[in-house]
Parts: sequence; structure tokens; C-alpha cells
Amino acid sequence: MVKISTNRKRTLAFVLLGWVLLIISDRVGELRQYQGSFVAMYALAIASIILLTGYSGQLSLGHSALMAVGAYAGALSINNLKLHPALALIVAALIAGIFGLLLGFTVARLSGPYLAGTTLALAVSLPTVANQFPILGGEQGIIFDIGTPPSRFGEDFSQYKWFFWISALAALITIWMLSNLLASRYGRVFRALRDNSVAAQLSGINVGRLKAIAFSISSGIAGLAGGLLVMLISGVSPSAFPLSLSFALLTGAVVTGVYNLKGVMLGGLVLVAIPEIAESVVSRIGGSEGFTTTLPGFMVSALLILAVLFTPNGPGQLLHHHKKKH
Amino acid sequence: MIRNTRMKRFSIVSAVATVGALVFSTLPAQAATPGVSAKEIKLGYSGPLTGSAGLVYGKLPGAMKAYFDHINANGGVYGRKIKLVSRDDKYLPTLAATQTTNLVLNDKVFALVGALGTATHSKAYTAAQLAKNNVPDLFVNTGFSGFANKAKYPTTFTILPSYAMEAKIMAKFIKDTPTLAPQASFLIAQDDEFGVDGVNGFALAGHKFTAAPTLYPQGALTPALAEGALTKLSAVPGKPVLVLFGTTDSTATILKAAEKLSLTTKFNWIAGSVGGDANTLLALGVKPSTINGALAASFFPDAKDATDPYVSEFMKINSKYNKGVSFDNVVLQGMNSAMLTVQALRAAGKNLTRAGLISAIESKGADFASAGLVPLNYSGTSRVGYNGYWFGQLNEKGELKPFGGKLTVYTTDSSSNSAPTASSYERKPVPKNGVPTNS
Repeated sequence: MVKISTNRKRTLAFVLLGWVLLIISDRVGELRQYQGSFVAMYALAIASIILLTGYSGQLSLGHSALMAVGAYAGALSINNLKLHPALALIVAALIAGIFGLLLGFTVARLSGPYLAGTTLALAVSLPTVANQFPILGGEQGIIFDIGTPPSRFGEDFSQYKWFFWISALAALITIWMLSNLLASRYGRVFRALRDNSVAAQLSGINVGRLKAIAFSISSGIAGLAGGLLVMLISGVSPSAFPLSLSFALLTGAVVTGVYNLKGVMLGGLVLVAIPEIAESVVSRIGGSEGFTTTLPGFMVSALLILAVLFTPNGPGQLLHHHKKKH
Repeated sequence: MIRNTRMKRFSIVSAVATVGALVFSTLPAQAATPGVSAKEIKLGYSGPLTGSAGLVYGKLPGAMKAYFDHINANGGVYGRKIKLVSRDDKYLPTLAATQTTNLVLNDKVFALVGALGTATHSKAYTAAQLAKNNVPDLFVNTGFSGFANKAKYPTTFTILPSYAMEAKIMAKFIKDTPTLAPQASFLIAQDDEFGVDGVNGFALAGHKFTAAPTLYPQGALTPALAEGALTKLSAVPGKPVLVLFGTTDSTATILKAAEKLSLTTKFNWIAGSVGGDANTLLALGVKPSTINGALAASFFPDAKDATDPYVSEFMKINSKYNKGVSFDNVVLQGMNSAMLTVQALRAAGKNLTRAGLISAIESKGADFASAGLVPLNYSGTSRVGYNGYWFGQLNEKGELKPFGGKLTVYTTDSSSNSAPTASSYERKPVPKNGVPTNS
């Protein structure tokens, strides 16, 4: 019997998931491909929150601002530096990561509500900051155009499938790398920071440096998600990153289980599917326009309460317990 | 015997299948136009229904639906009923992109109508691949001149005059009005394509403001910012001209700041057409005495003027099909867009196609009956609807009366520095019972 290491098992699982997604992309229509792209993008953004909050114990209420940093960096790379879109997405992650590192060192001494307040202020000030620099295109923003799919995929290969492939691939590779990181020494150190930072410091861990590193990696992932988001809507502007996006990501993280990376796709799925489900409920049972517009918020709130009550560590953890019992 | 019966059945089924296959193979392949059936035409709207923008513009789809209901009750368009599917984008680009894509791919609408917002709709247009799918994008509620670029937005027809046109006409109005011309003039504008288009229009007209324009991000004008800007300008001697080039909620914020600082009579207020809707200003808490005497540009008749035949007809439709909703400029705009849509659908003929609809507006759109007091400008080369404005003065009731007692309509373009000219345009009479019969 050949023994397979946990790392290999994880890699195999990601490759298998990639194949499944590839097959699914061929079987579903353009709308589902487009929605799937959003699921992958949200999953990535939620993963960045889980790393920051669930593993390193830092709370960010303004992750949408970090996504915006990546989005603008990516768009400027394409428009001004004429970089290939794939490189632009990498630049989006790198610039957001560097921004996060600087911010991380600045706020390393902050924690709890003070850190949350700082990141919240960042998200609130984003439109004003963006409007100070003409290169960012003001309220209208700037284009983020990755162009049409390569012609070798054939004429029937739609733009939406291209979006899905890019988003899913970016999400799979990044979450795989993140899983490996969290399974390594760094993962243990991050958890130590979260559970008892004084004990961690006594054990010789440089708390400030590690917190900044966690913030930087989280920002980089958020920046990549921001790049993907503006790819999907073909342009970046301050209003694409409202404060409500930060709160939606936190909601997704809580539903996913903030201490567990296993359910991030579920979190993304929830954020995309709730409005659709609400609309279909309203169309079946009827109701006023006001009912239609308030139902998604109500459903998200109900889901949050249920998640906190029944699966505080996320459905991934629930599966883990189920396996252990058998 | 049994074998014979089986053989017979097999022979009959084979024959039917063969004939059927032959018949179907000889029929020409016909791709059905999405959103059109023998009984129905499905149209889509994406715009703000909730949030701060929803408070002002949320009435738009309801007004369009009310007008379509009126048309449906009168036989529809060549027997087809019109169904309007509305989706809320909360005035956010991401939602505008996904909701518009949903309208095209999920709801399978034939055309979009009345989309609202520049930053939102420009992204939605690309994301939903409207150009690639040749989805008609009718009567978009924005004056951003970029949508007139036919190469970039081949299926879009805007309805509002461009903001650059409005600014050029405002500049002429200030110059030609003896009480305004000698005063210092200032501009407070939204810092997006809307405001920037306006700034460019003033530059084209050669108007020089006394100081550089005060620009603020859309939705970010707080009372404190407004009070700061007004306090700074209050030291200017005389009665300066203050042009407000933003959405109605921003105009309301500035006017309420003036009330707080007791500066309402310090300025000659000029509000743009987007931000000068008196009913909405009053609904947002601006005092009637504050708007009294303010100058505003418009291309529509006053929504409170029940003697106007179009307003009167739309008011009747509103009270019947849009119960409980007060009639204002937004409702007037929605119903007018819906009436233009019905005329466009009729002009495209019974065999309705997306290409046919676009071509019909290009060739016949300038002749459609419309509530606007200025001409429609649609043609093979122009995708901009109205191309002019008139100036009026608001009274305490929120009525917009022609300035100086005489209605003067000016028309112009968005890009040249030629001066606006007075127009002798006379609009077509309102269709009987508000139901168009054009072809």
C-alpha cells in the first residue's frame, strides 16, 4: 500500500477540483459561467479574510479598499504599461501585498476595534482618495479590458467561459498555496498569534512582524480578487468597492466558518446565490418590489444567525467531525 | 397476423418519421429573436430601486410599466403585450453589470430601456455584451456624451441632451441675462463624467468662472462640505451666480446648507436639469422659500403644469396604473421614454428584430411624438436624443415658469464652440389617449 503525504493529497484534490470545474464550465450556460466567475472571485476574497481574521486574529472592516488597490494597480498595468492581463493580475496581488505590508507595519500595534476602525476609515476614504489622482479616472474610473479569448479555443468559446477559466484558475492556485502555507510552520505561528499573542511572544515569535506578514498576504489575495472583480465588470471605479462589499465578505467568511478554509467556495456561492434565490422565491410566491429588495438582506441575516448557532466553525469543520465519528 | 400488425406499425412510424425529417430539413433555419413571441415583447430595466439614488430615481421603472400597462390595455404593439422586467443595481457598477447580464442571459429580454447612470451603465454595457448580441439599449438616462460614440456603443440611444450642451446653453443664458452677466460666477459640480462634461461645455462656450470649479465625488457631498464651500463664497461681493451641476440629492444638500447659514438669498442659484427637480428637492426637505426664484434648465414641460397636453395625458395614466405614486419629473421622464419605446417598436414593424428596431430609431426617431419641448436628434449618425434646453424660474410651489414669461428654446451640439441658437421647434401633438399609431 503506497502512502500518500497530506501535501500530495491536497494537491491531488485541487487538481481534481480543477478538472471538475473545467468539465462543469463546458456543461453550463453563459450566465452560470459568469456567476461561477463571481463565486471564484468572492471565494478568493473570503479566503483573504479567513487568513487575516480566522488564523492571525486581526479584524478588517475595510477589505474592499485593499481589493481596490489591487484593481487599480492591475488596470493601470494594462492601460499604461501595456502588460499582459495575466501579468496585470499578478501585479494587482503584488502591489496590494506591498500596500498591506506597509499598512500592516503601521498598524501592527493596533488590534481589535482599533484595527477594524483603521481599515474601515481606509474603505470610507477610498472615493475621495481615488478622486485626488486624475490617473485613476475619478468617479467614472478606468477600463480593465483583458480582451477576447485566444482564437485557438474556437469561435464558440465565450467571453464568460474565459472569465470563468481565469477566475477559477486564479482562485484554485491561490487557495492551494494558502492551504500549504497554513499547513506549514507559518500556519501554526499565525494560530499562536490569534490564540495568545503574549504566549507567542514569550515563545520567541516576533508578533508585530508576523502580523504584518499576515496582513500583507491577506492584502495580496484581496488585491488579486479585486483585479478579478474589475475584470468581470470591465472597469474599475471607486463605487465598485463600496463599504457594503467589505461587510458582504465578512458575512461570507462567517458562513464559511472563519477558522476554516475548506468552505470558501460555499461562502462565494452564498454571496452570488442569495439574490437569485430571493428573486425566485418572490416570483413564485409573489410580492411587492419592496419585498424583493429586502428579502436578500433578510435571508443573509437569517443564514448568519443559523451559521453562528449550528456551524460556528463552518460546514467544513462539520464534515471533519462527521468523518471522525465514523 | 401479429407479425403483420407489428410490421404495419413499424412501416407507418418509419414513414411518418421520414416525412417529418424531410419536412423539417427543408424548413429554413430560423433563429428566434430573444424576448419576442407572438403575444409578448419582453423589455428590461436596470437601475437604482433602493439606496439614496433609488429614493430619487426609483419611480422610473414603475412609471414606464404604468405606461406599458396602458398600451397593453389598448391592444399592445401589433397585438403583442409589453412586459418590463426591472432589476435593482443600487447605483453600483458591479450590480449594474451582473443585473444587466441577468436581463440578457436569464430573463432573455428583447431590449433594454431607460437604464440610468453613467459609471454604472458604461460597465454594464460591456459586461453584458450588448454590442456583441446587438441588444438595443434604448433611451439611456444619461447626458454623458461618451455614449454617443457609435463605434463603442453601437446599440445605445441616449435620451437626455448631453451635459456639455446644457453647460453651453447655461453659459449663453448667463451672458444674455443683464442681472446675471455682471456678477461673479462659480460652479459646484460632481466629479465624474457628468460634472466633467459640464466643465468642458462651459469651456467650449468660453465662459470663465471667477474661481476654479469646486468638484466633489458622486454621493460624497456631505452637509459639512457644502457649508464649507458656501461659507467661502459668501464673502464675494454682490449676488454671485452659483451653478449647481450635480444630482438632485446633492443640490438639496447645498440648498439646505444655505438655509442653515442664512445664505439662500445671497446667490443667484442655477441648477442643472438633473439636479433641479423641484418636487424632489421639496421632498428632500428643502424649504419652498429657498427654491423660490432659483433658475433651472429643462427640456421637458413642467411636471406640475396640468394644462400641458402630454403632462395631462400622463397624469391620467399615472393615476390609473401607478396608484399612490405622485406625478413628478421622474414619472414624466419614465412615461415619455416608454412612449418613445412604443413608437420605436411600432416603427420596427410586425416582424420585430433587434437590428430592425435600431434601424427604425435611426430612420424615424427624430419624428416620434414626445413630451420634450426641444427636438429629438436621432439619425443614422446621431444617437443623442434631445439637443436643447429652455430656462425657467421656480416658484414656491415648485413650478418651473419660463424665465421672463416667454419660453425660449436653445439648441446646440456637444463638441463645437459654436454658440447655441434659439429654436422654433414645435413638438407633435400628443397621440390620442396617449396611444401612438405610427408605423
